[in-house]
Amino acid sequence: MAIPTPSAGRLHDVRVVENSVIGEELRKLVIEDAELARAIKPGQFVNIAVSGEPRQLTRIPLSFAECDDELGLIVLVYAIIGPGTARLAEIGPGETLSVLGPLGNGWRLADDAKRALLVSGGTGTVPVFAAALALASSGVAVDFVVGARTRDLLWGLDELRAHISGDLIATTDDGSFGEAGFASEPALELLSERSYDAVFTCGPEPLMKAISNKAAELGVSCQVSMERTMACGFGACSTCAVRTTSGMKGACMDGPVFDGREVVWS
Amino acid sequence: MSVRLAVDLGGIEMKNPLNTASGTYGFGWQFEGLYDVSCLGAITTKGCAAEPWDGNEPDRMADVYGGMINSVGLQNPGVRGLVATAGTYLADLSARGTAVICQVAGHSVEEYVAAVELFEELAPWAAGLEINISCPNIAQGGIAMGSTPEGASEVIRAVRPRTRRPLLVKMAPARVPEIARALEAAGADALTLINSIPGMALDVHTRRSKISRPTGGLSGPLCHAIAVRMVWEAAQAVSLPICGVGGVRSGEDAAEFILAGATAVSIGSQNLYEPDCAPRILAELAAWVEEQGATDVNELRGALLC
Repeated sequence: MAIPTPSAGRLHDVRVVENSVIGEELRKLVIEDAELARAIKPGQFVNIAVSGEPRQLTRIPLSFAECDDELGLIVLVYAIIGPGTARLAEIGPGETLSVLGPLGNGWRLADDAKRALLVSGGTGTVPVFAAALALASSGVAVDFVVGARTRDLLWGLDELRAHISGDLIATTDDGSFGEAGFASEPALELLSERSYDAVFTCGPEPLMKAISNKAAELGVSCQVSMERTMACGFGACSTCAVRTTSGMKGACMDGPVFDGREVVWS
Repeated sequence: MSVRLAVDLGGIEMKNPLNTASGTYGFGWQFEGLYDVSCLGAITTKGCAAEPWDGNEPDRMADVYGGMINSVGLQNPGVRGLVATAGTYLADLSARGTAVICQVAGHSVEEYVAAVELFEELAPWAAGLEINISCPNIAQGGIAMGSTPEGASEVIRAVRPRTRRPLLVKMAPARVPEIARALEAAGADALTLINSIPGMALDVHTRRSKISRPTGGLSGPLCHAIAVRMVWEAAQAVSLPICGVGGVRSGEDAAEFILAGATAVSIGSQNLYEPDCAPRILAELAAWVEEQGATDVNELRGALLC
């Protein structure tokens, strides 16, 4: 019998290069670590320790949007949603963070897809952004529907526009930018009207469920990145459970990216 | 000067007092690559029942002041699943000198017996079995079989004849002296305490629990002083060796348990916050033994001066 493979995640003391405001609640955190930048793949995540905040002893799991393995830089985008992320936002350039990574299984990008649809909502945009850059650089035609509650929570649109060859559609729940409503509406229309080889989505579960179910109906491959509260990030604590057609799995080790048909949506 | 750290936890020979709390350590292999797991005296694997359990719905954890709350509900692959996926690793870890303690889960006396019989049949490498009679997340409305002396001893009396291996019992943080005495009479070889403390964490904006059930189990540094007190109470009540668990972050925290009467000490949530903490805590514990002028950690067990 084989011995199971532990996570490839390792502890890195990384230097913070930037931790800047990109929206009222949104921050862009750039960290420098050559080894981690070489190892991490789109859709994987890191688990970051913040010190000095007794309300956040567990690490904070974050996805990355961009990675430059030549410069050793990783760009993470996060929302301030509680005391832990508020403490993280206080960390300045030059300070050191303990980062565990790379964690989880990322997007499967080598599917010979010609045309892909990417759909994201909220901070779910972060890992999908990383997928968009990777797909675009390997010549895949990408249409991207990105949704947020309000204009202030949208970011990176200019950069996306510069990289992807297809359509970029932004939606806001309150109509303050782009189309009013949820990302699911234009995304489901595109999915019905155009022919895609692959769909990638991350965001609120109702969004992912709608996209995944429609893709399955059309026979199009759909990868979903599941978000869960979690403690360890490497398979030790069983807190990040995702119900699948083959039983409970862990978002940290079996995911966060799953085949949409595998997920049993609540 | 090197100090002697080996201890005997109810028949489980440990090369040092450090163990891991079940549920924070997977099946051990998850930590390989972060450090050499065989530096530990023992590991305690995730509780497993005779058949696989799905556990509770997500969300299963939330951060609270000084720790976390969880409602995993003992998701496990069953004893056969454990042996199929991790048996080779655990046999190897045992050969490397770390005692492997397998936690046993069940909803009823019959289920505990069935799981113990499977471990007996399939896990010859297990140094001992820890019967978890105190999970706060599996019974409707609270802690199950271990919440009364009668319920606790009923389970242990039933499983005792099924194994010659050392039997540990994971105790609830309630009625400690009387339940400890009942477990000693029922044939337990050692006690592990405390299990997580039932608690609640609420989102006042949505008026919902932060986890998928109203209550969960609290763990982490917030539990430490309570756990030390309960270990001390148990040590006064019975002569069984004790494994202290609760909020250990440092060698000093581990030393508190030993002074209170514990033979061994488990690292719990700190494995999640600082996944490579065990070698550091072990070095700090050894330094404390030496600082105390002792040559053997056993000299310091229960050596509280008051």
